[in-house]
Amino acid sequence: MIPALALALGIVLGLILDPTVPLWLQPYLPIAVVAALDSVFGGVRARLDGIFDAKVFVVSFVSNVLVAALIVFLGDQLGVGAQLSTAVVVVLGIRIFGNAAAIRRHVFRA
Amino acid sequence: MSSHRPRIASTTSGMLSSLLEDALDPAYAEAAARRGDAGERDDRKRSQTLSLMIGCLLVAGLLLGIAYTDTRAEAPGSERARLALLADVQRDSARTAELQERLEQLRAEVADAVDAGLVVTEEGRAQSELVQRLEAATGVLAVEGPGLVVTMSDAPPEESVDPVSGESVEVVPEAGLVLDIDLQVVVNALWAAGAEAIAVDGRRLAPTSSIRTAGEAILVDFQPVSSPYVVEAVGNPDLLVPRFAGSETAGRYDAYRQLYGIGFDLARAEQMSLAAATDYDLRYAENTATPTAGPTK
Repeated sequence: MIPALALALGIVLGLILDPTVPLWLQPYLPIAVVAALDSVFGGVRARLDGIFDAKVFVVSFVSNVLVAALIVFLGDQLGVGAQLSTAVVVVLGIRIFGNAAAIRRHVFRA
Repeated sequence: MSSHRPRIASTTSGMLSSLLEDALDPAYAEAAARRGDAGERDDRKRSQTLSLMIGCLLVAGLLLGIAYTDTRAEAPGSERARLALLADVQRDSARTAELQERLEQLRAEVADAVDAGLVVTEEGRAQSELVQRLEAATGVLAVEGPGLVVTMSDAPPEESVDPVSGESVEVVPEAGLVLDIDLQVVVNALWAAGAEAIAVDGRRLAPTSSIRTAGEAILVDFQPVSSPYVVEAVGNPDLLVPRFAGSETAGRYDAYRQLYGIGFDLARAEQMSLAAATDYDLRYAENTATPTAGPTK
C-alpha cells in the first residue's frame, strides 16, 4: 500500500513541480523511465509470486537505471547511441511485457 | 541442445529464450531461497530497506511524471509554432486579398475619373472608348458578361503496380494528363474565336501572361492551377461558341477525350465576371492625345 502511494506521490510531484530537465540529461530520461518501469513491474510480479524482497528491488532499480544510462552514455561516446538506446528499450520492453503477462495471470487467473 | 548444431546458434537461441521466458529478475528467487535458509532478518534492517524501497518508488514516480511533463511541454511547443505560422499565413493572405480589393476599387475610381474628364469633348469620348477597349484587352479592368466555359481535366486514374514497392497505386496515365501546351492551345483558340477576356482557373490572362509547367504543376502567371482547369472566356456567345466548337483545336481535344479519357467540356455561360489581372507592369506607353489636350502627369 505504502509503496503504491509513494509511486503515486512521485508522479504527482513530477507533474506539479514540472522541473526543467537539463539538456545533457535529456537523452537518458526515456531510457531511465523504461528501466524504472521494468523494475516496478518486476517488483509487482515478485510480490504476487510471493518472493518479493525489498533489498533486491532497491538494488535492481538503482542498477537498472544506472546501467541503462551508462549503456546509452557509452553508445553516445562511440557513435552508436541511437542503436544502443533501441537495444535497451527492446530488451527491457520484452521484460516489461513478460512481467505484465505474469501479473495478468495472477490477477485474472487466465 | 543436440551436439551437431553450431555453437553460436545454440547460445543466441538460449539467450533469446531466457530473455523471453525469465522475465523476472532471478535475484528475487535467490533472495527468497536465502531467506528460507537463514530465516527472518532483524527488524531494524528490514525497515531500512523498506524506506529505501519507498524512496526508489518515489524516484520512479518522479521519473514518470517528469518524462510526461517534459514530453508534453515539448510537443505543444512545435505545435504552437506551427499554429502561429498558420495564423500568420492566414492573416497575411487575408491582408493581401483586402489590398487587392482596394487596388481594384482605386483603379475603377481612376478609370471613372478619366472617363468623366474625357467625355466633355468629342475627341475625349473617342479616347475614352479606346482606353476602355484597351483596358479590357490588357486585363487591367475586371470584366463581366456572357461567354464560353471550357473545362479540361486529367483522365481518371488507373490502377497500376508500383515498380518499387509492388503495391497497387492509382496513377493517371501519361497520355491522359493535361499539359501546359494543351491549355496554351485552347486559350489561343479562344482568342482566335473572338474571346475578349480569358481567365484560367480564375486567373485573368493579361497579354504578358504565361502558362507553363514547373515540375508536375501548371503555373499561370507563376500561380499554380490544378485539374480540372476551368478556362472562362468572355465574348459574344453567339459567335464565340460556334466558332470555338467548330475549330480544329476543339475537334482535336474531342478526339483526345475519346482516345485518352481527357476531360474536355464546353458550356455556354450567360453571366460571368472575371477579375482584373493581378500582375502587370506598365512597360510601354504612347501619348495618343493631340497637343491641345496637354500632357498629363
